Amino acid sequence: MRIKLLALVFGFGLGIGLLAGPAMATPARDTPWLPEAAAYRLTLFLGNLTPVPWDELGRAWEEPYRGSEYTQGALDWLAGQSSLPTEPLTAAIAREDRAAVFEAATRIISARIDEELDAALAAESPAAAQQAVRTARELYRAIEDHLAAADPEAARALGRAWLELSSATGSTGVLGAGATEPDLNAMATARVVVSDYLAANYRVADFAPRTTLTAVPETIALSGRAVTLPATLPPGSDIFDQDPLPLLVLGFEEQGIDETDLPLIAYGDMLFDSPEIFSGPAREIGIACSTCHNRSDINQRFFIPGASHQPGAVDVDGAFFNPMFNDRRADPIDIPSLRGLRFTGPYGRDGRFASIRDFTRNVIVNEFAGAEPTPFMLDALVAYMTEFDFLPNAMLTGDGRLTEAAPEAAQRGAAIFNQPFDGLNGKSCASCHVPDGNFLDRQAHDIGSVIPAYEGSRGGALDTPTLLGTVYTAPYFHDGSMPTLAAVVNWFDTTKSLGLSESERADLTAYLETVGAADEPYEDFDTENTPFRLAFAELTTFASTLDTLLPRRDTQHILLLTDTVAADLAADAGTMANLVARPEIYSLAEHLAAVGAEVRADNWAAAEASWAAFQSEAQAIEERAF
Amino acid sequence: MNSMLSRRHMLALCCASLAALAAPVRAQSAPLRLAFIPQENPEKLLGDIKAITGWLSREIGVPVEGFVTIDHAAAVEALRNGDADISFMGALPFVLAEAQIGAVPLLSEIYRDAPTYTGRVFVRRDSGITTLADLRGRDIAFADPISESGYLYPLVEFERAGLIAGPAESEAFFGRVFFAGGYQQAMQAMAEGLVDAAGASQYADLLLAPGQQSQVTWIAESEPIPSHLVIARPGLDAEVQENFVNAMLRLNELEHRAMLRHLYGPDGYVPADAAAFDGVRALARRYGLLQ
Repeated sequence: MRIKLLALVFGFGLGIGLLAGPAMATPARDTPWLPEAAAYRLTLFLGNLTPVPWDELGRAWEEPYRGSEYTQGALDWLAGQSSLPTEPLTAAIAREDRAAVFEAATRIISARIDEELDAALAAESPAAAQQAVRTARELYRAIEDHLAAADPEAARALGRAWLELSSATGSTGVLGAGATEPDLNAMATARVVVSDYLAANYRVADFAPRTTLTAVPETIALSGRAVTLPATLPPGSDIFDQDPLPLLVLGFEEQGIDETDLPLIAYGDMLFDSPEIFSGPAREIGIACSTCHNRSDINQRFFIPGASHQPGAVDVDGAFFNPMFNDRRADPIDIPSLRGLRFTGPYGRDGRFASIRDFTRNVIVNEFAGAEPTPFMLDALVAYMTEFDFLPNAMLTGDGRLTEAAPEAAQRGAAIFNQPFDGLNGKSCASCHVPDGNFLDRQAHDIGSVIPAYEGSRGGALDTPTLLGTVYTAPYFHDGSMPTLAAVVNWFDTTKSLGLSESERADLTAYLETVGAADEPYEDFDTENTPFRLAFAELTTFASTLDTLLPRRDTQHILLLTDTVAADLAADAGTMANLVARPEIYSLAEHLAAVGAEVRADNWAAAEASWAAFQSEAQAIEERAF
Repeated sequence: MNSMLSRRHMLALCCASLAALAAPVRAQSAPLRLAFIPQENPEKLLGDIKAITGWLSREIGVPVEGFVTIDHAAAVEALRNGDADISFMGALPFVLAEAQIGAVPLLSEIYRDAPTYTGRVFVRRDSGITTLADLRGRDIAFADPISESGYLYPLVEFERAGLIAGPAESEAFFGRVFFAGGYQQAMQAMAEGLVDAAGASQYADLLLAPGQQSQVTWIAESEPIPSHLVIARPGLDAEVQENFVNAMLRLNELEHRAMLRHLYGPDGYVPADAAAFDGVRALARRYGLLQ
């Protein structure tokens, strides 16, 4: 039931998830990128996908990146800010020449840094010089993480040079008070450090061919030295939780059973929130099951360029997460809700998996490149996920009839919903969305919503989705092409020639909106139930499974738990309202990390002592609240 | 909180009106002009300014215009020459503006229930540095020389510890003193090991990535510093001033709170207490910034 908190941090110089150590499910909010720096990062990211999405790569330079605070795309921005030619780049994109695009884009970034450093040295006031240095530094961010991974010594020298540059610009003070003169010699000396390195590594006459597009310095690339780069998401990505946060309805909780008394479920809950069960970029950037299926529901804001065609959609068999599983087709799907999962099989949009267990294994191993899960892990995940219940809805009975609380329009709409139509081959909406079967029939039907992949394709049949809770899961259809339930009604009316009048369409929509409603769809936070408190309760619940795993000396599953929870606990501390208590949370995280370290060292007595220390401190924190 | 974290003094977008010569005294029906200091991105700030000035115009009943200045110094210049009536300002630039042009404090920002915050000296937890004395001969990054929490107040802690007699001695005590250009840059330089310590706002560690936050700690904290404030030029019509203050105080009400995000994101405002800046004035005098 874990939530991921949106940390109020800005990873200056860091892409999302560029963090050392175990993966964390608490992403850092990205500092806004300058337009050309964003376009460069997108070029590296999209240029490494197979096949390269050339249209999207072109748009990366033409349009502001998604969520950009700038209104101009990189090319327009450059036209206004720079004298650099962009034709080599646009021509290379037009002829889909990957290597030439890389070279032109890399030269633009390095030349832009030099342009700004020229401006800093020529500036007439400290304020103008500082602005130019700041801009140059923000452009340098486009290559910084790769440079640091490939050439740490140079990264340090350049880091110091940036500090020298910033310090040497002087200060205008306030009306002369506190003014300091710029130190032009120091600026020039520091600038040479930056510019010489750029000239030798990012503005060379001929770049050597690169299999993978990176900002690794050319001298390092030529040396053939292996470089491990941090996985990052490009500008425009969004893997934060949605706001408001969906309410999670777990069967056992509604029945008053404590999750800490259900170790298998608690462990499955932890796994659902653990990037550690994946590998590759998903693990490194902190993507877990809960990233997309947020609180058993959907994450409507999830977006990764090249993998999502719109927010809330992702292509899980594309090139990014697991190249082995790349189907080379751009076919992102709208993320489905997992509410009521035990009633919604078969699984997958076309119902290709009969069991949750098979579906889950496929997600872990194929979609997100994880190692083969143990039977215990699959049991735990299935045990947890089958506790996901539908949202209670006072307007609907258990067998799918409207109650008196339902509006009149919905009552009229119910009749239409159950009415046979010629356009539906004599069936009604209710034939597939069976009211007393949670509004689905567990079968796949081709309703004509899928564009045939090839002539004669019979691949358009999709699993009937439930209508429960759908008010909160827009957009609709497998590709998210219908923005509202009213649009869905209109689509059926038009494509199936139902002949509904405007008022009938409105009534049918009202019925869908009533069936899809909920008494409390969202988590209700207040001063007591804070996001951090919820996260803290979840993480300590996860840890409680150590009571079961430690006596069993279950090393593998203990380490999976400690690696997941210790890192997350420390990261979540930054979101606490009571910042003074952060050191206590760090201490808790250290106890948990110590459990892992001691288990690795086969020192079980010490591991148990660390676990006892964790429990004791957690209890004390819980009693004091936050 | 965010504004304190990320407030910058130098990201620039000059408004053409800044170049205007000293403005004549305007009639009261003339627009009320607000100067804003950029944080991250001037383009975004322009959007925020449009939203907040539109709201203020409706609340006060006179046209309200906003423009972006290059930094605090330029905002003070604008107040002096009449290009701006009101400006957002840090405590230190305010006391300098007060002394030099008679600027008037109107409102103080509230963060986490207080119109104050502190400056801290941060180090990496694995550095072995536990006291300010350990920083002798080591390198430190501050935010900006005209920054209270990002320079002066943390530096005072070295004085209180008996390690330096004044700012002039700081170069002799430390290995190198850098001004990184902002809290975030100073913190990042420390977290990456480019310097041994950073002097910045108490909230500045939240500017680091989550994994970095747990790897840093602080070893000294300053006395409370008055939070950033809203100030007026001398001679601004008393009624206009009162109407502006009353409108801004309505931002504390639930129905208007959403507008705060267009204003550096404080939790709210309270009327400024001129006496609360005595400590800043004394410090500015001691450091030679004020006569």
